[in-house]
Amino acid sequence: MTGRPRDRSVVTSTEVVPDDPALRYARRDRVLAEMEAANVDVLVVGREANARYVSGAPRLWLAGSRPFGPGCVLVRETGAVHLMSTWDEGVPEDIPHENLYGITFNAGNFVKVLRDIDGAATARTVATDALNPSAAALLPQSFPSARLVDGDRLLRRARRVKTPEEIDAIRASVHVAERSLAMAEAALAPGVTERQLTGVFMETMAEAGVTTPSTQDVAWITSREHPWRRASRDAPVAAGDLVAFEAGVILGGYVGEVARTHQVGARDEPGRALHERRDELWDRLLHTCRPGALLTGLLDAYDAAGEAAPPMPVARGLGLGFDQPVVSHDLPDTAADEVLEAGMVLALTAFVWQEGVGAAYGTEPVVITADGLEMLSMTPFRDQWAW
Amino acid sequence: MAPGLMEAVAPAALPPAPDLDRMRRERTQRVRDAMRRKGIDALILLGNTNVTYATGVVWPLADGGRAGFERPVAVVVADDESPHLFSPIREDDRLRAHLPRDNVHGPAYLDFDEGVRDFVAALRGLIQADAVIAMDEWTHAMQREQTLLFASEPVDGGRVMSSVKLLKTPDEVSCMREGLRITERGMAEVQARIAPGVRQTELTATFLRTIFDAGADANVLDPIWQVMPTRVEDGPWTTTGDLACPLLSTERELEEGDVLWVDAGISYAGFHSDFGRTWIVGREPDARQRRQFERWRSIMSAVLDVTRAGATAGDLTAAAIDAHGGSKPWMPHFYLGHGLGIDSAEMPFVGSDIGEAFDASYVLQAGMVLVLEPIVWEDGFAGYRSEEVLLITDDGWLPMTDYPYDPF
Repeated sequence: MTGRPRDRSVVTSTEVVPDDPALRYARRDRVLAEMEAANVDVLVVGREANARYVSGAPRLWLAGSRPFGPGCVLVRETGAVHLMSTWDEGVPEDIPHENLYGITFNAGNFVKVLRDIDGAATARTVATDALNPSAAALLPQSFPSARLVDGDRLLRRARRVKTPEEIDAIRASVHVAERSLAMAEAALAPGVTERQLTGVFMETMAEAGVTTPSTQDVAWITSREHPWRRASRDAPVAAGDLVAFEAGVILGGYVGEVARTHQVGARDEPGRALHERRDELWDRLLHTCRPGALLTGLLDAYDAAGEAAPPMPVARGLGLGFDQPVVSHDLPDTAADEVLEAGMVLALTAFVWQEGVGAAYGTEPVVITADGLEMLSMTPFRDQWAW
Repeated sequence: MAPGLMEAVAPAALPPAPDLDRMRRERTQRVRDAMRRKGIDALILLGNTNVTYATGVVWPLADGGRAGFERPVAVVVADDESPHLFSPIREDDRLRAHLPRDNVHGPAYLDFDEGVRDFVAALRGLIQADAVIAMDEWTHAMQREQTLLFASEPVDGGRVMSSVKLLKTPDEVSCMREGLRITERGMAEVQARIAPGVRQTELTATFLRTIFDAGADANVLDPIWQVMPTRVEDGPWTTTGDLACPLLSTERELEEGDVLWVDAGISYAGFHSDFGRTWIVGREPDARQRRQFERWRSIMSAVLDVTRAGATAGDLTAAAIDAHGGSKPWMPHFYLGHGLGIDSAEMPFVGSDIGEAFDASYVLQAGMVLVLEPIVWEDGFAGYRSEEVLLITDDGWLPMTDYPYDPF
């Protein structure tokens, strides 16, 4: 048996390599500048995406949230990065062997590793991106002179506007998500289950050389009774069902996501009408996406279109992992406090629902530019629903 | 061909289909009992797997970046027999089946001050202002909230969860067995595809397709198909001077004679599975490789001989070291074995860097599920590694895995 034909349009690798230097240095410089501004001496990050942002090293992908642990440490004065990695494969050359520390199951060993970092003894301010009770108790032993402060906000500030190289990385990830989604869409037919459609997506993604999804909840039959009701993943789709696909992959650490809705079998009048409503909403959302616009504008677009608040955020930042901003009707004050800026990348969602019909749903990754926005997907949903 | 562990011993007397309602009820009760013992009025859980344990809610786990923001949050209140769930998904049939409607709340955006404010307002309807609160972890936005969450120092909620999840009930064991079966089905498909010219990522493609079709809720680890070097020094530099493993899969094509160390895991019904085998690409194992496997089997057998409730972790490591001629047959950055349950690696850790004193004092109990993963390494000739999953019983253990050692 030999390998299947390889999709040459996706650039992946036969080696584990660090992130491109242009990405790494720009990101680290941003974090160092925010540390300077916040007067933080040492930054200890636990969230994997933050560790990758600072270090540029790919590590093993695991699903789900992880308890806080010192995954990566950045010292402001020296710019030195210390990384939890037992080996040097994939570790950039600017992180020397002596700055690597292995996995440990012994909290006391973490205390010692951190205490031995050059600058730990004299650090006055140590920031973390999250905390748990044991880390809160142990970190003061490693940094005896320091106050523990919020490092999450400074990382958000560093990460929210993307460099051109980051936007290219997100675009590449979006394209893999789209291509993998196309195979799942092609498999949509009466009798297939949500679970099987998810399997097709995952298989195609991995054959394209990307083995890490951002979501594993890829397909669902939208409910005719409730805007956001999930039934069993093993229920077969039936003709007339509106089936939503949410496709997300992680390529080079960066997340690319799109969502689409399709009607199974022949498209009917109520389905068409619902998609027209969605597209009208989408046009209103796009219209508000300009640098300087308050994020509230995205929430208002739903009201202006006469649509109910969606069950998910209207917009979420895309970047390494899951990024700022999060624009949700549940967070109106937060949205009123922030404006769109050129270089932000958003997964922007138009969601409409009609009792007796189902939901029509679309998410597009967009980058805010100096004079408006740019779509990152090859085939935006707005152009797909041809009747 | 050597049969799997379950075939090699007496057929396993594992429970048949689980009673999920009973499993959820018993878990919530355990959590509340532990809270009562520690004087905790409210337990707030953010960790995905802890939320699943406390509420019985299962969803397909997302990438860690997304899981950190879009997370269901559990609140267990000492005098409410049903847990509370704050979730983006309010109308899930899987939720509605077992949580009272009033206990399902909208999403808690705990990375935002505004989200924390709303969460605390909801909590005030559930608990007293002077409640003793435990948390498994927190965000900085939560830490800024000083009127309820941090009015006094929170108790360690992660510790509460570590203690209650340790011993598995028959219903839980039954769920775990099904997760392991799904994993093994995926591996059988992959193993049939192993050949020179096949890329590592293609193996992942086959694995992912099969596990989802077979009933997995999610994949939990980017599967490992590591081509082992013949010598340690031909692999990456390590902090320990020992083997680098597990290394990430890429588009590397397999070559005839490659020694593959395989490691993967999925989630099913809120439990994680584990799997480990050694395969040879396009060839039968040679005499030396067969000797490595026989040596591995003798180590596994020596460990299994002493494995039972009442034995210490140190008894297991001593048996392994003895069977390996006096040195440790496992990688120094890992362990001889680890617990398995709602997390891929949980207590008990056997032979880890927590240290020998810990191993000597740690007593195994009936109902623990243990993964044993010794290795045999012959520098210059690579080595053999496999994993077996066991349920600890009063008089020994029961195998939970059934996969053959083929091609050995």
